Amino acid sequence: MKKSLLVSFLFLCLIVSACAKKQTVTPEDVNDSTATEETNSFAQEPSIRGVEVENNIALETVNFAFDSSAISDEVLVTLKNNVKYLKDNPKVNVVIEGHCDERGTTEYNLALGQKRAVKVKEIYVQLGIKAKRIVTMSYGKEMPIDKRHNEAAWAKNRRAETKAIKK
Amino acid sequence: MCILNLKLLSKTILIFLFCLISTVSYAKKDVYLSLSARSTRASIGLADFIPVNATPEEMTLSKNIKNVLESDLLLSRHFNVALADKTSYKFDLDSQFAYWEPKGVAVLLLGSISVEKETFINLEVKLYDVESKEIIWEDVYRDKITDYRYTAHKINDEIVRRFTGEEGLACTKIVFTNDSTKFKEIYLVDYDGYNLKRLTKDNRLNILPKWIPDTPQIMYTSYLYNNPDLFVIDILKNKRRALSTIQGLNSPAAFSPDRKYIAATLSRGVYPNLYIMDKKGVILRRLTEGKHIDTSPAYSPNGREIAFISDRAGYPQLYIMDTDGVNLRRISTKGNCDSPTWSPQGDKIAFTMKYDDNFDIFLYNIPRKRIIRLTEGQGSNENPSWSQDGRFIVFSSTRSGKSEIYIMGMDGSETRKLVDMSGNSFTPSWSQSL
Repeated sequence: MKKSLLVSFLFLCLIVSACAKKQTVTPEDVNDSTATEETNSFAQEPSIRGVEVENNIALETVNFAFDSSAISDEVLVTLKNNVKYLKDNPKVNVVIEGHCDERGTTEYNLALGQKRAVKVKEIYVQLGIKAKRIVTMSYGKEMPIDKRHNEAAWAKNRRAETKAIKK
Repeated sequence: MCILNLKLLSKTILIFLFCLISTVSYAKKDVYLSLSARSTRASIGLADFIPVNATPEEMTLSKNIKNVLESDLLLSRHFNVALADKTSYKFDLDSQFAYWEPKGVAVLLLGSISVEKETFINLEVKLYDVESKEIIWEDVYRDKITDYRYTAHKINDEIVRRFTGEEGLACTKIVFTNDSTKFKEIYLVDYDGYNLKRLTKDNRLNILPKWIPDTPQIMYTSYLYNNPDLFVIDILKNKRRALSTIQGLNSPAAFSPDRKYIAATLSRGVYPNLYIMDKKGVILRRLTEGKHIDTSPAYSPNGREIAFISDRAGYPQLYIMDTDGVNLRRISTKGNCDSPTWSPQGDKIAFTMKYDDNFDIFLYNIPRKRIIRLTEGQGSNENPSWSQDGRFIVFSSTRSGKSEIYIMGMDGSETRKLVDMSGNSFTPSWSQSL
């Protein structure tokens, strides 16, 4: 108990120091009247700058339909499995990387990848994972796992990968 | 003008005379605006520059600079160019006019070139009105031999300025990304496809380069630190710095025309929305909110409005709002839109739209409230960027089977490939004069 308190304290320090370093959040911005409690906690993402991530076999990748960030029933089952792993391993923080297929513009796909990552994050949080354990980011269409130019490749490339952040 | 019997005069006296004449002629005629009045292409005669010391090096430079200038004048689409039938160095002004007048040229460019200390070019040029035989303009250029292309570019831009009152394009550059290293790196090339140079060597993803208005600086998005952060690279100082490193998306972004603000797409743990930051990347205010995508901001030239892309309607559409987030209006009604960019005159927005199978470049005419199509049936055409005079658009196209950079007239005419290189090239951005 003591140890976990210490860990969360250190973790909080990390967030605070990261925010302080990052010339980013101004007071009036945090008090943004439009932001809800939920989005405020969502915004407290740990920084993954200079931190290595690893592909954890227990954390599965999920796929999306073209130009969509909707979570299918099949995807939901996979995400529930990931959530089970995250509950069993409460010290593991994760980054969700959103990816797109090569069709569409660079800019829009960057945003779409982020939207996919956030959709997955929302599911994780709904299923009981603390938002502050989760980082979201987007690679847009820049990191295809299958470089071919066909429907099979595109289906694989439209994905959100959940990766453990190495301590 | 008989005092210009070049044959008899030594170089020193010549330079003195040039100075004398130039003050007189500047006073008489500054901008020779016949072109914009008639809106036709003027015919310009390009004589061979006289190699003063007649060395092989001077002869080669004479020819090379003339070739670059000819290319510049033609690419400007303001001129028809007439050349001498074969290389000849005519020293006598009367014989020059006797040779060029029958060719029907309206103006004639004469010049002489000398190499100094094996390092510098001295190029004296005079532009004559053929009918009156008066000097319209003259100048002396001194550049490093290795920069001879820029000597020609500067002469072109001066001629364009005198004939049209507009800024020429020959001293502009285009920045873009290319994937031939298997990553994406940023490359810089002259507007005519020469002097290709790689700017980043990170073996990382560097995407979406965009010129910062009126500077030799390029803003781009880099995954150097495992996050899509905004960086700035100065091409003259060859230095770069991080601009915005908020966790999550920092991009796409755009500087305001006065460079005081940055409109940026931030995710901050949730959905990509638009924010205004100061020039140092400190968030000033949030522009949009909601569980959808708002991205691809582009400032209007007067800095009062922002065009952007939102999928709030269910699919990405083009919108405009004021910079304080109010007065929002939807522009497009169909297709998938992205990459809006405002024309320098502020009356048009070029953007990408997927209308049928492929992406194409479209123009939204703001006063007429009409959308017209510029490319069709030639692969996917994306990421338009305007020339500073608003007459041309650079964009990427897959028409050759891979993605490459092309330039077309803003009416979609006379498309040319910018540069041949391996790999795929994307997201060009066209500089102002550098």
